[in-house]
Amino acid sequence: MKIEFTLNGAPVTVEAPARTTLLALLRDYLNLTGAKEGCGVGECGACSVLLDGQLVNSCLALAPEAHGGEVITIEGIHAPDGGPNDLQIALVDYGAVQCGYCTPGMVMAAEALLMRNLNPTRAEIRAALAGNLCRCTGYVQIIDAIEAVARERRTHHGEHGEHGEHGER
Amino acid sequence: MSEPNPNLTYVGKPARNVDGIDKAMGRARYVADMRVPGMLHAAALYSTQPHARIVALDVGPALAMPGVAAAVTAGDFVDQGRWGWPIKDTHMLAFERVRCVGDAIAAVAAETREQARQAVRAIKLELEALPGVFDPAEALEPGAPPIPEKPSEHGAHAGKWNLAETLIVRNGDPDLILDECDIVLDETYTFGHQEHAYLETEAALAIPHADGSLTVYNNCQSPFIARGHLVTVLGLPEDKIQVIQAAVGGGFGGKDDAVYKISGQAAALALKTGRPVLLTLTREESIVTSYKRQASAIRLRIGMDADGRLRAARANLLVDSGAYASVTPLVGWRASMHAAGAYRYEAVHVDTDVVYTNNGYSGAFRGFGNIQAGAAIEQAIDELAERAGIDPIDFRLKNALRPGDRAMTGNVIAHEIGLSACLEWVRAASDWDRKRAEYLPSPPSPLSHKGRGGIRRGIGAACYFHGSSLGAEGADYAGCTVTIENDYGVTLTAGLTDIGQGSRTVYTLIAAEALGVRPARIKVLRPDTETMIESGPTSASRATLVGGNAMRAAGLKLDRLLRWAAADLFHCAPAQVIRDGEHYVGPAEEPARFEAVVDHARALGLTLSASAKWGVPGFKWDFETGAGQPYFCYVFGAQVAEVEVNIDTGETRVLGVWAAHDGGTIIFPQGAAGQMFGGIAQGIGYALMEDIRFDRGYLHDVNFDNYLIPTAADLPDIQGHYVETNFPHGPHGAKNLAEPVMIGAAPAIANALYQATGRRYRHIPVTLERVRLGYDLTRPGSERTCRAALGFGE
Ligand code: FES
Ligand code: FES
Repeated sequence: MKIEFTLNGAPVTVEAPARTTLLALLRDYLNLTGAKEGCGVGECGACSVLLDGQLVNSCLALAPEAHGGEVITIEGIHAPDGGPNDLQIALVDYGAVQCGYCTPGMVMAAEALLMRNLNPTRAEIRAALAGNLCRCTGYVQIIDAIEAVARERRTHHGEHGEHGEHGER
Repeated sequence: MSEPNPNLTYVGKPARNVDGIDKAMGRARYVADMRVPGMLHAAALYSTQPHARIVALDVGPALAMPGVAAAVTAGDFVDQGRWGWPIKDTHMLAFERVRCVGDAIAAVAAETREQARQAVRAIKLELEALPGVFDPAEALEPGAPPIPEKPSEHGAHAGKWNLAETLIVRNGDPDLILDECDIVLDETYTFGHQEHAYLETEAALAIPHADGSLTVYNNCQSPFIARGHLVTVLGLPEDKIQVIQAAVGGGFGGKDDAVYKISGQAAALALKTGRPVLLTLTREESIVTSYKRQASAIRLRIGMDADGRLRAARANLLVDSGAYASVTPLVGWRASMHAAGAYRYEAVHVDTDVVYTNNGYSGAFRGFGNIQAGAAIEQAIDELAERAGIDPIDFRLKNALRPGDRAMTGNVIAHEIGLSACLEWVRAASDWDRKRAEYLPSPPSPLSHKGRGGIRRGIGAACYFHGSSLGAEGADYAGCTVTIENDYGVTLTAGLTDIGQGSRTVYTLIAAEALGVRPARIKVLRPDTETMIESGPTSASRATLVGGNAMRAAGLKLDRLLRWAAADLFHCAPAQVIRDGEHYVGPAEEPARFEAVVDHARALGLTLSASAKWGVPGFKWDFETGAGQPYFCYVFGAQVAEVEVNIDTGETRVLGVWAAHDGGTIIFPQGAAGQMFGGIAQGIGYALMEDIRFDRGYLHDVNFDNYLIPTAADLPDIQGHYVETNFPHGPHGAKNLAEPVMIGAAPAIANALYQATGRRYRHIPVTLERVRLGYDLTRPGSERTCRAALGFGE
């Protein structure tokens, strides 16, 4: 079937079977391999993307669910110049990226949290990441990085508008 | 967590993981992200029985399925694909028999992954069930069904069928002393299987070339070892096989044999079809077919004086290797070398049996046997401290190894030992004395009574030692190269690889320090058997110590050349040249840019490329007599864990972990902290929830919905600290930390649980049911679950 949606700010049209998962659509049909498959059953969050502003496990969502909607993947998260945004830099600076396989999903989960709460407690950050497994880091530095970015974005809030680009919006 | 050394510019200072930005932006390419024109997708047929004879196997029907290009079985390899190290006891695809659930039997390549999976289901397979053996003790009884193809060939156990290896330590005569001791503990500690659960599953992409050669991209830990096994089973010479390691999504020891196996399968299909073949595993396939941390039983008999001075120990280890040996014989050896812990004894004997069963198979996993050994001895030490009436940390301090002491294996440890300093740090940081007094004493918690127990807290300690690098496990060396490119960038190759633990950044910092250039100038090339120097396995947390020494030596060679060139430029002696940042400065205080010195060196005709190998200084362990020196150095550490237990539900929360590690100098601080936090997180999972239980060879937990690993919401903040003792043989004094930092968590938690509940569980993991009921609820593994996991669901 024909699936049309907005992907990282640009309209796309893909022809794919109706039972294709959103993850397979992204990786196999659109060649966007930033979202990873870790479990395929909605338990690890490595495949996290934003669908209409909501964090979803793209391995569970079917591609047609994206029809007419707006999808943001890790490829759509970057600074205006195309380089890393503040969150991506902070994750690296805090040592929160080891093997990196969970990292794209962590970035999506963190952006989803910071969109609704720019002043999260550590417990709230932990809760927001509970659907994203990381086997390498023990999460401590990931939480440190998110805390620091929230602090920064709060300070700059209103000065430069929203920090961290989400696609071309 | 540590004070940076003022004499160093890059080493020990905050740094960025060199691959971090690519990974955080989703640009890093893992094997499953690779797309090659004409690429086929592969899938394999796996055994759904724990032990069976292959009566009939016909891939014909699969070949007739849509999109299928080829299928392979054992017969498509040299010598039926027989391989394995140190014991050649397995096959790339099963030959004549399957020996565990998840044994691969045949592999198919098709245009799409879906077609390959459909074709696998069409393969005609007839299995005739054979009796299995699932209890390691029973496997050693006369008349037990034989698991390997032939009995052991060497050592004390030659001629025995299911005994893969025996290992001993003979230091003095503990029996005489145990008879004299005022207090003797005799307890057995048991351990379940643990799954690595690297977030990226195993993957290999094999690309055949027109000249008959082959390139394999995979996510293995050790590309040269992969190439060696491929040479064995494919019959191609070394120079026709290139193995390139892609970004690896976590290893922890788990991406050795499991990845070599699928690399062999993908390679055979690529050679047969003449097309690139990608083989990736689903999570279910990964969990069912990959090797695990060994289930083990450790009996400890330890004697001490009435005043709490340890005197002698005897340890008996029974290690379940499962259907194949993999590196479990070496794991059993390392466990044996640490079984009595980091304490002073007059005499120690250890006897370890590594046994075949039909419980999947086991192999390398972070800690390599010292996770089980360390958790057993540290629970036992806690019991001994209690019997002696001494605080557990005081008891450890009283008996802990100090410089110049003999380790349990009889060898003298000559270098500095930070163990006592680690214990003192965790004691102070965790507020041990206050909490210990406040939570004591707990009468045993009620079992099976509803609503009576309430919430209780406990705090527990553990310490550890860990022999650095491979020790007597194998030839211990590594090679590195440093090259200055035409654009004045510096490229590095390292024979020991980065599987997510940050070695590429460690190498960058060491090379930057040696050459006096900014890390941004440096690029670490992808590990590739064509360009890097053969260095043995990336294991035993030796990438920093052994690889780092080689990188530093190569960097210093090149630095010397450039200093000569600078001296020539300045018309002075090389010793008069000093560095100011990247600049070279001569006696006339005229600075020259790095680029200018490089240009001048080129004009002088110097080759701006250097390589170096570094091997661990010689020492010897005698496997026959069980004596000698097992390692050339050790690291040490201590951890405290605080828990809160809901007695009514059995739920345990870890409220805090305090960890101190003596691993010599820290090179990449954020990386070291990440290793520590990550290792402890794996230790917390191991302690409380992670348990692959084989039920007559079948698994119950085949994905993350049942096999739970800690989430961000399950874990506490962890406080870490480094005791940086002086160690002259490491690069800038570094030893290692990635594996040993995991050892302390499980026993510290078990000991904290004892304070909280008044019960000794003596089994890891201490699951919720164990706390609540005193035993594990059976979660029966089933053929149905495993069939569904391996692609035969309804
Ligand atoms: S792959 Fe989607 S949640 Fe794990
Ligand atoms: S960094 Fe490896 S899984 Fe998170």
